Parts: sequence; C-alpha cells; structure tokens
Amino acid sequence: MGEILRIENLCKQFGGIVVADDISLTLDAGEIVGLIGPNGAGKTSLFNLISGVVQPDSGRIFLQGRPLEGPLHRRARAGVVRTWQHMRLFRSMTVIENMLVATREYPGESMLRSMFATASVRRAEAEARARAMDLLARMGLTQTADNIVVDLPFGQQKLIGLARALMNDGRCLLLDEPMAGVEGSNYETMQRIVRDEASAGRAVCVVEHNVSFIKDLCTHAVFMAQGKILQRGSVDELTRSRELTELYFGTVDASVDA
Amino acid sequence: MTDPVILLQILWTGIAMSSYFVLFTVAFALTLKVEKLWNFAQAGLMGIAFYTMFYTLNAAHWPPWLGVTAAVVLTAAVSIAVEVWAIAVLRRRHSSGLIFFIFTLIFSQLVAFVLTLMFGTEPETIFPSVMSPVRIVGGVAVSDWDLQAVGVTLVLLALLYGLIRYTRDGQFMLAVADNDKLAEIYGISAKRAYLLSGIVAAVLICAGIYLYGTRAGVTPDVPIGLTLTAVIATLVGGLGRIFSAAIAAVGLALLQSFSILFIPAKWQALLLYFVLFFALVLFPRGIPVWRIGRPKPLAPMPVTQAGE
Amino acid sequence: MEYLASAGMLIGIYIILAASYNLIIGYGGLNTIAHPIFFALGAYTAALLGIGTTLPSVVCVLAGIGVAVVASVALAVTTLRIEGDYLLIASLGFQLGLLQLVNNFEFTGGPAGLSNIPVTITGPGRGWLYLLICAVLAVVVVWLIWRAMAGPFGRAVRAMRDDELACAALGRSLFTMKIVIFAFGCGAAGLAGGLYAYYFQYISPEQFNVAQSATILTMVVLGGIGTTWGPLVGAFVLVALPQAITFMQLPTSLVGPLQGIIFTVLVILFLFLRPYGLVGKREAGVAH
Repeated sequence: MGEILRIENLCKQFGGIVVADDISLTLDAGEIVGLIGPNGAGKTSLFNLISGVVQPDSGRIFLQGRPLEGPLHRRARAGVVRTWQHMRLFRSMTVIENMLVATREYPGESMLRSMFATASVRRAEAEARARAMDLLARMGLTQTADNIVVDLPFGQQKLIGLARALMNDGRCLLLDEPMAGVEGSNYETMQRIVRDEASAGRAVCVVEHNVSFIKDLCTHAVFMAQGKILQRGSVDELTRSRELTELYFGTVDASVDA
Repeated sequence: MTDPVILLQILWTGIAMSSYFVLFTVAFALTLKVEKLWNFAQAGLMGIAFYTMFYTLNAAHWPPWLGVTAAVVLTAAVSIAVEVWAIAVLRRRHSSGLIFFIFTLIFSQLVAFVLTLMFGTEPETIFPSVMSPVRIVGGVAVSDWDLQAVGVTLVLLALLYGLIRYTRDGQFMLAVADNDKLAEIYGISAKRAYLLSGIVAAVLICAGIYLYGTRAGVTPDVPIGLTLTAVIATLVGGLGRIFSAAIAAVGLALLQSFSILFIPAKWQALLLYFVLFFALVLFPRGIPVWRIGRPKPLAPMPVTQAGE
Repeated sequence: MEYLASAGMLIGIYIILAASYNLIIGYGGLNTIAHPIFFALGAYTAALLGIGTTLPSVVCVLAGIGVAVVASVALAVTTLRIEGDYLLIASLGFQLGLLQLVNNFEFTGGPAGLSNIPVTITGPGRGWLYLLICAVLAVVVVWLIWRAMAGPFGRAVRAMRDDELACAALGRSLFTMKIVIFAFGCGAAGLAGGLYAYYFQYISPEQFNVAQSATILTMVVLGGIGTTWGPLVGAFVLVALPQAITFMQLPTSLVGPLQGIIFTVLVILFLFLRPYGLVGKREAGVAH
C-alpha cells in the first residue's frame, strides 16, 4: 500500500489563464479523493496534466516513486487511467470490443500478429475476454457484451466507461464526473465498484460537481478554485467552511447542483 | 560577378511573370479563407477559361473583349454550378476533408480529360503569337506583355481590396470567413458569400490564365501544376491572409527566377516543391510569423473542456 | 490470348494497389494521395536493378518493396505533426516533387522512362505464368489485410478512428498504428510496381502522376471505402470497363481521355449518389 501518485508544484498556463497554480497533491492506495470546486477551477485540467493530454509548464508527477512523464499512451501503460466527462466510448464498437481495446498489454494488436495469429495471441485474447466478462458480471451487464455501446441507455454507458478504464488494471484511477446523470441501481453499482477498486489498493480521484455524490463516495476531498488547491479535508469540513461555501456552494443547495 | 543590369532584368521579368501566379494564388487563398475549402477544382476552371479564350480568340477570331468576356461568364457559371450542386451538398453532409479533396481534384481531372478530347495535347496559346513589342528602359527589356501583366494584376488586386474594405458584400465575405455560423445569426447569407467568392475567383483565374496563355503554351494538364503552386504560395503567405499570399507568390516567383543563376532550368520546378515540403514540415499548422498583428483569439477553450 | 493475360495482370496489379490504398485511407484514415509514388519507387527500383545488375528478379522486386517501405516511413516521420488537409497537400507535393526528380535524372531515363527491362520468364505460357504469380500475390495481399483488420489490430484501428484521444489514453500508440499501416500499404504498392515493371517492361514518370492517383482512388471509392471486397470489385470494373472501349475501335488519341472521363464521372457519381461504393453498406461510418 502507500503512496501511488505524487504531484509536486504543478503549474500550467494557457494564454492568460492559469489552470494549475503550484498544485501539490498525493493520492494513496485505498483512498477515494473528491476534487470539487466551481467551473473553471482547473479540475479537469489537472486530470489532463496527470494523464498527459497536456504538458505542464513546471512541476513533476511521480507514480509509485517513479517520474510520470511522456505522452498519453505511455502513462496509461504505466497504470494511470482516466474516464472522461463525455465518456468517449468507441461508438462503432461493441461493449466487449470497447473493453478489449483497454488492456494494458496487447500482444495481439500488432499488425503482423493479427495476420498470423499465434497461440500466444489467442491466449492473451481469451484472458482479456475473460477479465472483461468478469468486470461486466460485477456490474450485472454481461448481457450487453455484444451490443454496440451507443445503443445502450445512458447509465449503462457510463458504467461501461468505468469498466473500460478498469481493464487497464492500473494503480491510479482518475474519474471525471463518473456519476453525472446516473441514478438508481446504476448509481449504487458504480459506488460499489469504485469502493471495491479502492479497497483492492488503487488510488482513486473523482471530479464531481454534485456534493452528495462526493459525500457518498469519497474518503476525503480537495477544494480547487482558479487553479489552486484551497483546502483539503473531509467533505463535511469543506462544506462547513464559510469561505468555500461563498466561493462555490453559494445559495445553491448542494444536492441540486449537477 | 554578375552584371547589375542582368540582375535588374531578372528582377523585372520575374515580377512580370509573377503576375499570373499572384492572380491564381489570390483566387485560391480567397476561396480558402471564405469557404475553408482547398479548391482544387480551380484547376478545372483554369482549363475552361483558357480553352474558351483559345477557341474564341485563336480559332474563331472573335474580338478580344468578347472572347475574354465569354470566358469569364462561362468560368463563373461553372464555378457557381460546382458550388451549388457539389460543394454545398458535401458541406451539408459534413463530408471529411478527404472527400472534398477527392471531388475537387477529380473534377479538375475530368475537365482535363474532356479538354484533351476536344483540343488534343499540343500546347496552345491564346493568340497565334506570344511576341509583344519590347522597349529598353535603362538597359532592361520591358515588353508590352510585362506592362499589361503588372497593370492588370495591380488593378484587379486594387478592385478586390476595394470590394473587401468598402462594400457590404465584401464585408459579409469577411464575416463568413471569420465565423460562418455567427454570421448567419446576424442575417448574413453564407451562401451568397460563397457564390461571390467563387465569382471573384473565376475573374481572377480568367485574368491569370489569359496572361499565362498569351505568353506560354498550355496543355490540359498544365492547370493542376499551376494550382499546386498557388497552394504553396498560400501556405507560405499564411492561411487567411490573402494579400500576404500575393506577396508570397511574388517572392516565390522571384526565387524561381533568380535561381537560374545557380541551378539549371530543369531543377527550378523542384525548388517550389522543396519550399512546400519545408513550409509544411516546419510549420504544420501554418507559418506563425504571419500571425503578428492578428487580433488575439479569446482564451482557448473553457478550462473544464481542455483536452476534450 | 496474351491480351487476356495482360488484362488479367492489370487487374491483379490494380487489386494490390486498390486494396493497399484502401487500407491506408479507408481503414487507417490517413490523408494521402501519393500512392502512385510508392508504386513508382517499386517499379523503378526493380527496373534499375534488373537492368543494371545480374540480381535475380525476385530480389529486385523485394528491393523495390524495401525502398517503398523505407520511403514511406521517412515520409510518415517527417509529416507526423501535419494534419488533415495539410497532409493531403504534403503528400501531393511529395509525389509530384519526386516525379520531377525522376524526370530530371539521367539514370532513371528521364521523361522517356526505362524500356529495356529484362525478360524474366520466356516461352509460350509466359503470360499465364506471370498471371498466376500475380494472382497469388494479389490474393495473399488481400488476405493479409483482411486478417489484420479482422483481428485485434483492426479493432485497435477502429478505436483510433472512433476517438483518437480516448484510444491513446488507454495506452495505444497511434503513431505506431498509423506508420505500420502506411508502411505495409506502401510496401504492397512497391510490390505491384515490381510486378508491373517486369511484365510490361516499360515504365515512365507519367504513368505515376495525378491521373494514376485518380484511377486508384476511383477504384477504392467505387468499390467501397473501408470494405474488404470493395477494392477487388473496383479494380475489376475499372480495368474491364476501359477494355470494353478499346473494342469500339476508336483512334488511340481518343481512348485515353475517354477512359479518363469515364473514371472521373464514375467517381463523382458515386461520391454523390452512393458514397459507400458498390460493396459498402449505407451505415458504414468509415468515410462519407
């Protein structure tokens, strides 16, 4: 167990806008950290900086003690995986295909190996498929395996997005508004899965606007505004703070904001 | 030691010959700016314009003004037809860039094949003779063609500038070029802007190919090469900047002209391809130095959407 | 009879060209128009080695493939940051620029081309033997492409086409996928070039210019971009159709442009009326 992700003094500026202002943060195994704050606070930008969509102006990131750098695909292979606000599922492909393209190792995906499938490729495929079906089973979605993703209801698509990310089997999980628009049994399933993954030793960070989502799920929270981390602590502590309330919660009842 | 008079001659002749290059470039750059379209169909328009003038002036002996007018009318008509029946359809379908490219290139190829069928592959010129009276000015040979070329180009560029700066339609073209959806909200018809830019391009192309065709032989596959040079000048000049593309065209023409001092003639064409390649490789999103003086765009994407 | 073998050879060669171009633009989604230049590199390499050395023809053709692959990787690496429309222009510039070079150099035969490519197979069954080899190679190329795209590689490529960013964020190297597709496709074009050079024994720069780009493009569009059978159907139709014209006993100066007109009209018609091609289905989202 222990520290999975360490961010040190991360800074990033786009034109005149500072999206990351000397951010330092650690994510430990077993934690589910909620990242909250008003629009434009830099929450998704932080995810972009960690996952490699954007390179920082200065500062460093460490994954399990080793520097995390390079383009997106290299970071994903190191075990940092994220979900997206707009899901970004592969629209023309089935659920199972979406998941199979998310494994960390993919020996079969070389052009030559696809042309002359060897036994090892077939084995890797079978293993990946079994893992995918297990994940779907945990979500109660095995029957959707061969459906085209975009044909599924919204809540199930969001679950599939999470399942796809979990195929990476990485230690660091970044979830961007995973529960927005999800309700009922899908909501409970998502909560359960995320908690299970954290208990299995992953570090999870969740961006959410809906404070009650954060309350339900997270071990503690971090409040960001204008690229800076203003406060860390339990969700209750943060919601009780008057300055933060003014900055963000305002007169809006927390549970309504979604 | 090269004689300064020779250098001056190369300079003058280079400028004169850059005239049609400038016209083709501005036509291409204007369409790219307003319609965001790499309009390779302009090669087809060049072919149509040339052979109309060739047929009416060289073969059927019409008076020059009539032949040229016929060419302008026909070329503009084809330009409008292509816009309305083809480009607009592809635009409605949100077709990919490859599809637009395929269509415009194939259209020009079709025109080239039809013209080959009708006129053969022998080089032709608009008038039977390409000679024009020459006078010596300060040791430099200045021909009537040179003066006509430079004059026509300057007049047309001035008219275009006037159109864009001082007329409503010109302003509307710029608005559509900047943001066509926003322009539509303000009641500006994008369709009208596209048609206008197509007609203007047709006029410029006719003038350009008239100048080219009164000086050198043209075959049906010459226009595609000419269009590619217009593309190169447009890229070097900076996308969206019509007049700097014109300057780039002059610059590139002079580069080609002066290169004669260093390399054999047959390598001159290759020079432009090198320029193209380097321009694209070094500046895959367009040459940034030309962005000085342009209004800064609003802050890029709201933070929550960065990267999405 | 030799005439039928010739037509068959042409169909086989164009199947290889169309299938490999379809791999690049249909499946890979790469914006290039320069396929003929790799056809040319294969042809010229094989021809020059065949004329100038005593290397066996198989080696010469393999060398042709090698040169095409190396050139394609070089082009891909230099243009890797160029996107979309710019890439199309870069590829056109690359094709025409290289052709200019071929035109200007002495050793490539200049505009007149190379016409003394040595004979490799002799005898009465020459045509049929060539045709057999070509047919086998065409089948192999199409089969390999099909297997690649039907397997895990194809799945990853489809994901890349659907959403590049998400695909990369899941650990896939987009550049590797694109370069592998491009190298294989261009290598296949190089193979077609070697076959072409040895069978027809005459190559010249004008056989590899924009008109050739248009021909191959027509076959792919007509057959159906991004389908397996599309390129085969397209190649067959577009070789057979012009042959039908030659039966009309027209003067030779008319045949070329007339064929060209038919090609281009067909592309335009299909682009507008049936963008998914003869084989493709309406919802295929690969290209429209």
